[in-house]
Amino acid sequence: MASLEIRVPDNLWDDREKTGSIVLWLYAEGASVKEGDVIAEMLYEKATLELPAPASGTLRIGVEAEVPVALGEVIGTIET
Amino acid sequence: MATDNQTRANMYRTMVRSRHLDDRLTEQYWVGKTPIFAFGNGPLPGELHTSHGQEPVAAGLCSVLRPEDAMTAAHRPHHLAVARGVDLKRMAAELFGKKAGLSGGRGGHMHIYDAAVNFSSSGIIAEGLGPAAGMALARRMQGQPGIAVGVIGDAAANQGAFHEVLNLIGIYKLPVVIVIEDNKWGVTTHKSASTAIERNSDRAAGYGLVGEFVAGNDADLIREACLRAVERARSGGGGTLLEIETARLQGHFMGDPSAYITDDRKAYQVDPIPRYREKLIAEGVLSEEQAQQIESEEQALVNEAIAFALDAPYPEPEEALEHVFASH
Amino acid sequence: MSNQTNTAADNPGVGDDSSQKGGARIMTCARAQREALEWEMTNDQRVFMLGEDVYGMGGVFGTADGLGAKFGKERILDTPISETGFIGMAAGAAIAGMRPVIELAYIDFIGVCYNALVNYAAKTRYMSGGQLNVPMVLITGTGGGYNNAAQHSQCLHATIAHMPGIKVVCPTNAYDAKGMMHQAIRDDDFVVYMMHKGAAGVGWMGPTVKTTLAEVPSEDYTVPFGKVRVYREGTDVTIVGVGLSVHHALEAADQLAKDGISAEVVDLRSLVPLDREGIMASVAKTGRLIVADEDYMSYGVSGEVIASVVERDPTVLKAPAKRVCVPDVPIPYSRALEQFILPLTGRIAEAARSLF
Repeated sequence: MASLEIRVPDNLWDDREKTGSIVLWLYAEGASVKEGDVIAEMLYEKATLELPAPASGTLRIGVEAEVPVALGEVIGTIET
Repeated sequence: MATDNQTRANMYRTMVRSRHLDDRLTEQYWVGKTPIFAFGNGPLPGELHTSHGQEPVAAGLCSVLRPEDAMTAAHRPHHLAVARGVDLKRMAAELFGKKAGLSGGRGGHMHIYDAAVNFSSSGIIAEGLGPAAGMALARRMQGQPGIAVGVIGDAAANQGAFHEVLNLIGIYKLPVVIVIEDNKWGVTTHKSASTAIERNSDRAAGYGLVGEFVAGNDADLIREACLRAVERARSGGGGTLLEIETARLQGHFMGDPSAYITDDRKAYQVDPIPRYREKLIAEGVLSEEQAQQIESEEQALVNEAIAFALDAPYPEPEEALEHVFASH
Repeated sequence: MSNQTNTAADNPGVGDDSSQKGGARIMTCARAQREALEWEMTNDQRVFMLGEDVYGMGGVFGTADGLGAKFGKERILDTPISETGFIGMAAGAAIAGMRPVIELAYIDFIGVCYNALVNYAAKTRYMSGGQLNVPMVLITGTGGGYNNAAQHSQCLHATIAHMPGIKVVCPTNAYDAKGMMHQAIRDDDFVVYMMHKGAAGVGWMGPTVKTTLAEVPSEDYTVPFGKVRVYREGTDVTIVGVGLSVHHALEAADQLAKDGISAEVVDLRSLVPLDREGIMASVAKTGRLIVADEDYMSYGVSGEVIASVVERDPTVLKAPAKRVCVPDVPIPYSRALEQFILPLTGRIAEAARSLF
């Protein structure tokens, strides 16, 4: 089984110095997701942003909601 | 291009019909309200704002509209409703609060709706302008022909909605004509005391629209100006603000003795209907006999409508609860 | 975290914790609302949206996120700050056969468009004797608790619900949010759809209120108006709530359970039409009534709920009914002041305990 990292996309917000957070994981640990499904909501300042699954497979949550995260940070994996 | 004789004769007919209706309504209005005046008395209760003197605006404007065009009007709607082709019997019945009325008695004189001719009027100053813009927007979105006309009085040009909607018409380039019936009075306040500039048509420039002022309260001149405005709208040229000088021959509403109209302001108070009649006869559009023929035909038509309305039954009281919502 | 129970057949259960284990998708109210709007705009060309910053920003709750790019400026209209103008315009478009969805960011702004809503849109069907109808939806944000002070924190449930001719709904979970949005757009009448900012699930209001989340089917469905949702069954006291207060009531119910008091939590979710029978059924069972409403207390929804019971049968009440609302004061800015006046969990629980 391969494992693909879920990262906060580099271009999700502008200021590289600032952190955002995960508002909500839309699926539970171990759920099956399809590539492109919105799997998490992220918050950066006043904007709520969507995070799509980078591949189809089983979701493994790495970082819980309401923890500050940086651009490019790994927050989970998809087992394909 | 000059208007053809038939159209001019039709405009005269429309004005005569309007006037007869307003005269008969006035007569009925006073039943039960003398010697002591009370709004709630008589077969035609409430307030009544007749259109005496403003008939040329309706005749000229409606002569250039098509069935698919939408019109919204305000609290003085009778002449516009008549000229637009609203069902006369059902309109009269509505004013008398009868079940056969356009709204089954729920609307009354200020709130005249006839969906069959795309006509509606309502009573809050300037509130019909936004909806007129929306009716034009809808037609464009649906790919349907038709423009919209919103008719207001001059005092309404100081209401917030007027300014907001003119701006919306400007930015969305909507096919709308806003018609101001400039009778110079907002109830008891003369235009010079309420409006910071002399001509509301000058305000059009502030919203990126064409503005035109039409003097004289003459149906022919009014028609020509309306034709320019509707053609601009129909051809994608956007909105126009037409300010049409007219005359409010009576008080603001029935029962208003209008002592505030001082002698120096009475110059405007000239009845346009006999004046137009004279003009048509002088120009050979109508003979004296033809004019009288029109008058007696229209009188009969109006009398028939009033008789229908007087005879028609009232709605059952419980019907007051109906037609709040379309679905439950 | 409370369990959410199924109710009657037309109120499918909002998912509880266990449903997520099956791999089901949960959503926030705001995203669920958007999903319905997107579906309707895709499948019904009459539907269009207008409001301030809806194209450029997707609206205050992201209700139109991505819709501008998908449907274009012709169907997602950014408006100038002209509420009276564009709401009147939307009403006219609705009368002429379109289905506009208007965003009025905060219900507090009703002051600048009150006439267009209550005298024009609400009354046109009636005044025309049924000739015309106004199938438009006004979506709006309500509520405080984030220090935005008196003019940006109101609920005004009563102000809107009071006017004949307007249907009013306040969904509090993502399942209802989507279903009621579908229903609102498909409804032939003027609907005001009120979403408490704290229930919407936008991150900038603080941590997501978990009980607002729900499993949301990806296909379209409607939730009918006019029925309460019983979030939690109980036997000793009924707590009727509107908007975010429902979720405070759920927390209060957890606390009360520790005191041996079994509270039933009922979400009105539909103010017009109001489910008076549903309210009565619950109060007749428990005999005690608390109403939690983040609107001002006097002359409001809370009084209406109590009147609904007392008019039918006052003898069902074993104790006086109580209202837990914002007192009749403008909503203050300073945190300590604002927290004092809001109908939060502690006040609701205390009110319930006082009935025993």
